[in-house]
Amino acid sequence: MRRLVLLLVAVLMAPCARAADLQVMVRDSRGHPVRDAVVTYYPQGGGGAGGVRFDWPYRMAQQNLQFDPFVLVVPAGATVAFPNRDTVRHQVYSFSPAHPFELKLYSRDETRTVRFDRVGVIALGCNIHDSMVGFIKVVDTPFAAKTDAQGAAELHGAPAGAGVLKIWHPYLKAPANEMASAVSLPPSGELRRVETLDIRSPPIRRNTY
Amino acid sequence: MFRHLRTKLTVLYAGLFGASLLLLAAALYGVITSEADRTVGDELTASATVFDRIWAMRSQELQEGAALLSRDFGFREAVASKDAATIRSALGNLADRLHADRAYIVGVDGSATAADGRPIEPAAARVLASLDQDEDASGVFTISGEPYQAISAPILSPTLTGWVVFANKLDKREMTSLERLSAIPLQASVVYRVRSGAWRFSGGDQTGLDAGRLSRFVERELSDRTVRVRHLATAGGSSIALVTPLKTLSTSAPAALVLHYPLALALAPYRLLLEAAGAAGLLGFLILAAGSWALARGVTRPITALDEAAQRLQRGESVAVEVTTADEIGRLAASFNTMASEIRAREHKITHLAMHDQETGLPNRRALEETIGAMADAGDGRLVIAALGVDRFAEVRGAIGYGLAAALLGEIGSRLASLHPGRPLARLSTDVLGLAFLAEDALAARRLAIRLLAELEAPLSLGDNTIDVSLTIGIALQGEHDDLVPSVIERANIALDQARTARQKTALFDPELYGDPSANLSLMSEMLGGLADGQMILYHQPKLDLRAGKVTGTEVLIRWRHPTRGLIMPDRFITMAEETGHIGALTEWVLARALEEQALIRHAGHELTVSVNLSGRLVGDPQFAGAALDMIRGAPGAFCFEITETAVIDNPEIALKTIDRFKAAGIAISIDDYGSGLSSLAYLKQIHADELKIDKAFVLKIDESQKDALVVRSTIDLAHSLGLKVTAEGVETPTALSLLAGMGCDLAQGYLVARPMPLKELLMFMVDEEVGKRRRA
Repeated sequence: MRRLVLLLVAVLMAPCARAADLQVMVRDSRGHPVRDAVVTYYPQGGGGAGGVRFDWPYRMAQQNLQFDPFVLVVPAGATVAFPNRDTVRHQVYSFSPAHPFELKLYSRDETRTVRFDRVGVIALGCNIHDSMVGFIKVVDTPFAAKTDAQGAAELHGAPAGAGVLKIWHPYLKAPANEMASAVSLPPSGELRRVETLDIRSPPIRRNTY
Repeated sequence: MFRHLRTKLTVLYAGLFGASLLLLAAALYGVITSEADRTVGDELTASATVFDRIWAMRSQELQEGAALLSRDFGFREAVASKDAATIRSALGNLADRLHADRAYIVGVDGSATAADGRPIEPAAARVLASLDQDEDASGVFTISGEPYQAISAPILSPTLTGWVVFANKLDKREMTSLERLSAIPLQASVVYRVRSGAWRFSGGDQTGLDAGRLSRFVERELSDRTVRVRHLATAGGSSIALVTPLKTLSTSAPAALVLHYPLALALAPYRLLLEAAGAAGLLGFLILAAGSWALARGVTRPITALDEAAQRLQRGESVAVEVTTADEIGRLAASFNTMASEIRAREHKITHLAMHDQETGLPNRRALEETIGAMADAGDGRLVIAALGVDRFAEVRGAIGYGLAAALLGEIGSRLASLHPGRPLARLSTDVLGLAFLAEDALAARRLAIRLLAELEAPLSLGDNTIDVSLTIGIALQGEHDDLVPSVIERANIALDQARTARQKTALFDPELYGDPSANLSLMSEMLGGLADGQMILYHQPKLDLRAGKVTGTEVLIRWRHPTRGLIMPDRFITMAEETGHIGALTEWVLARALEEQALIRHAGHELTVSVNLSGRLVGDPQFAGAALDMIRGAPGAFCFEITETAVIDNPEIALKTIDRFKAAGIAISIDDYGSGLSSLAYLKQIHADELKIDKAFVLKIDESQKDALVVRSTIDLAHSLGLKVTAEGVETPTALSLLAGMGCDLAQGYLVARPMPLKELLMFMVDEEVGKRRRA
């Protein structure tokens, strides 16, 4: 049932450098680009643990009765702000084992913050608005990115050599919604991968007021 | 096919009415059945719809309860924190509130937990584990052979973490509550497919169907897509059934709702109508059959009577049919009666015509044949047929005309009938009557014949004429010479001919004289052969010249010594030779032989006139005359032809001319057998004869009968007057000879003079004559 169809087309380009770029294209089984898939790379022997920072804000806003962004990638230990930009109040919670929490009702323009120390996926919901779903992916690697609308993600400066490439998506039909594959980065240049994922269609969410 | 018209009519009418009734019954039954079908079908469809609604309402109720639970923050928290006790209590609490029989919580990994903590049946677990949509799935699923209505609600916290599942048992109670909603007492059941592919009823089978048939029925109905009312054969009779597919939790285990209603029940309201219609139809049929029978009998009775009458008529019975009506059949019967009586009359007439002579009204020969058939069987003496021929009928008829001639025969017949009542009588031919009687023997028969002659030979008055009747009677006895001529009547006729030929008044059938017709033909060929082979010899009967006192002539007579039959008399084969046209050849042979023998006689020193009998048929034959004259031209002595007067009757002109030719050639002509038969003075005058031979019938009794002596004397005188010499035949006594000599008779012939003898004996006789004469002299 939790099936992974993996088509691997590797094109090795080798510029002479210590670090390499990793380009990943994620598509679903029908060939459509998949956005909001989190691509992480773990070089063999680790590297870069601690002091990981990303150049996007660690913020999960609530706007138009939606979490924005849908998926947020943060390093472990990051403090994420939860600003309410709606006119209604929200009560954000998570039962995820990685970090269950509950933010009591808070109004427009109020911001709550939560520090996430443990690596994992925190599924966010609003107790008032069932249709609101969001995810925070807490990672412990500097090589992490989220696919854009074209399903593309790029990792820069990863060390050459062997490593593990992981792709996570909230609706990926896979254990823990994640799949991993061993890759070998060339000493220099780029590694381009096209990953095809079996994505479940998102559930219809009805608000039960 | 039918022996009787009434059966045919009855069967036809009853059959037609019965067929109409059957059609009516079929139409009625069809309408009623389809009406019942439609009513029940509507009800079933409505019930199915109701069931759908109930199902939906129940589902919604459960769904809403489950949704309520699955969205409850505390519950979700408990699920997220895997607080099993809290989860179970919350589930159980809600299940109680919703009256749900079962409640489960299923994780996204397929692990299921029952609200009551009991272990889950593997089948249920399999269905639950197949939930993979975070939508509200609902439908039927089966636990331990019991179908359940189940709904599921996903637990989103906020991602899908599992499902809340509530299930309600679709037991008899549920079905009964559904059945109660229907206007008719239909039966509702849920069927489901087990893993083997067979379909089962929940709560047991109520239709009495076997599993195979149910499976096929449900599979067919479901694959048909369109939901329709059908007939379903069950153990308890036909049912009207509707199969609606039910949504199931798992597509691999389909289920369906079967609504059915026994056809018998559907038809029950119409049963009385059908029974009444059937009874009325049957009664009507019986009445019609009986009525048809009665009517047909009435119609056909006169026809049957006609049929029987026609058959009796065919058998020759006299029939008449009673005419009772004035319709066509009555007229037919009347016509039949007329026809039958006319047929009888015609038949009678035809029979009469067939059995009676038209001219005299006497029975004909055929009638006599039929009558004597019965007489012969009666026994008591021997059957005799007397054929009474009217002598010289042709002459009599010529004299008095055909009508009176026939009347003459009729008069003789009626005289015969009055004298001999009870003796069958018939006209056998134009001039012959036949009388059948029984006699002890031939002699008695002959005596009776002579009596008949005495009775009948009396003059008859016919109109103004008085006619003398002369009869000749031929007699034949039944059982004598049947092998020769099978018919006794035929033999009597032949006997009549034989009598006439023999110039006798009566004669018994003489088989010797008759011979055998087929043998006669061979006799002729034998005769011709005999002429060549020397079987024929000539006999001589000398003629004594009374004045000269010596034999001066001889009459040659032919004799036939047949190698096997012995001596055959001339009257046997000469008549036949005349009739078969061989007389010419025979006579030529006789002439040739006579000439030879005359030469021998002459050589022996005797001078005799040779007389040869010439048949009447040859007298009128110029060709023969020429041949005979050629032969006789060189004759060594005098020649004489003996002919009878009758020889010139047929064709007097030619005959007389021929006789004149013979005369001119020096051949003497002698008139033979004068006095017997039709002796005519006219012919005597016309024929230029030299000699007259008086028939022996007169000469034999000349010494006894004064009358005969007178006739002979006057005949001799007459002949002498005409310039003819006279020869007396049949001279057997010296008295007769001296009488004849006294009368001036010229020549004598007979046993007294000499019997016929062969040439050799004649020559010896002549020598004796010479010697005797010399001695006398």
